Amino acid sequence: MTEGHPDSSSVRTISRADSFAPSVDAEIAARTDWPDEALMVAIAVSRDELAFAVLYDRYVDLVYSASIRVLADAQLAEDSAQDVFVRLWRRPETFIAERGRFLSWLMSVTRNRAVDELRARTRRRRREGGSLGEPEEGATPLFSTEPEDPPRCAELREDQVIVRRALSDLPVDQKRALQLAYFNGLTQQEIATVLHEPLGTVKTRIRLGMQKLRRALEPEA
Amino acid sequence: MTTHITQEEADEYAIGALDFDLVRMVALHLAECAICRETVRDAERVAAIFALAAPQRRAPKRLRQRVMRSAGLERAGPLRRVVIVAQAAAGIAAVFVAIAAFTGMVSVRGQVGDLRDKNDHLQTQIDDALSQKVEIAALTRGLDEAERNSDQLKRAAQEDRNLLLALMSPKSDVADVFTKDESATSIGRLVWDEDQKRVWFVASDLAQRPKGETYQLWANSGGKFYSLGVFAPDASGFARYQTTVPQGLKSYESAVVTIERAGGSNERSGPSVFVADLSGLRR
Repeated sequence: MTEGHPDSSSVRTISRADSFAPSVDAEIAARTDWPDEALMVAIAVSRDELAFAVLYDRYVDLVYSASIRVLADAQLAEDSAQDVFVRLWRRPETFIAERGRFLSWLMSVTRNRAVDELRARTRRRRREGGSLGEPEEGATPLFSTEPEDPPRCAELREDQVIVRRALSDLPVDQKRALQLAYFNGLTQQEIATVLHEPLGTVKTRIRLGMQKLRRALEPEA
Repeated sequence: MTTHITQEEADEYAIGALDFDLVRMVALHLAECAICRETVRDAERVAAIFALAAPQRRAPKRLRQRVMRSAGLERAGPLRRVVIVAQAAAGIAAVFVAIAAFTGMVSVRGQVGDLRDKNDHLQTQIDDALSQKVEIAALTRGLDEAERNSDQLKRAAQEDRNLLLALMSPKSDVADVFTKDESATSIGRLVWDEDQKRVWFVASDLAQRPKGETYQLWANSGGKFYSLGVFAPDASGFARYQTTVPQGLKSYESAVVTIERAGGSNERSGPSVFVADLSGLRR
């Protein structure tokens, strides 16, 4: 409590205030059970900084992981993740409740922001005369089957189990086509060039892959 | 894009596999079509699972401080923490109503409704802006086309004026042009203007030449044919071809129009379709 505040008068003032108001940690703890959409409403309606902090803690690893998967660069991934959360705080109204689940929206925003940065970096390399080459895959696998670091949110953990189960049933070539589009920001034409496959083949793989994932995610009857 | 987008297109859009031009077309369509927005939202839900499946990494601890600072939410010191808590306490009632609306515990949905209204209003404004953008693009295209037509008309008017001046000039000559095909209905004139140093060939009911062929005008001077250029009739079969009198050409006995290969020939080789006797012209 006294760290950075050696003035004893300040300490007294804070102690008095603490006796009337609940602590910040308690306030944050009170919000940890709130659903994502409720936290977003709190941010939009009341500019609730603690709600923002809860959302940040809930999803920062996910946003950072997706960003680093696209950009394959820790520093750029940090910049990209920072941009996503700052935008979320400054313009919460861009999340429209009718758009569906908050998590889908957040991941869509994260992916688009990272791919924008990836494309900008590719353009810079082209200008500087560098080779475009094969898309960077990094040392990380396409998709993880086991979480290296389990997420802090139980609901998220359940989502990831479902998702990984769905992806594990997907043929490799379909997974790769989807991954090149989603994580490497390549168009179908560019994927066809990279894989030396006809455009029609790539379109078919993406179509079938998405169909299978959609079916796998449907709630069981 | 006038029809609804297919599930396949929505998937390609959501996964980010479409070319930039198609992305823009789909985005414009989505601004105006609630049905397709729903289709794309569903596709985005499926696409988002890729992000969930990315290998999990812990974000660096410093990122939190960076985000809070950029968002204008510096890490709360003791005094700041008190202010935040006080603000939170003041806003808690409003927030609770919103939470209750989401969880269904309380039937007060006013604030959520307001937020939705604002979103609807924002969406309407975006839709309007996009519609206006499309209209402006259509108007711009229309204006460009009108400008091109206007330029063509100006050029045609200028050519008419030059021809009229040539016909009025005391130093110009007009020669009849005869078609070699007696069954043809074409009529034509050749105007030779020494003042403007120009030649006009005017004819009606000219047949369109197939691809690879063109009409070519020649002047016969001392038995040698000099090319005066190639021309093509317009869609109605009318031709008004204007060119300059070749330098050094002092005398000419006749003019002839032949059919030559596209682009014109260096020497007359094709069959003639029109002939004009220029021997009677003044010099």
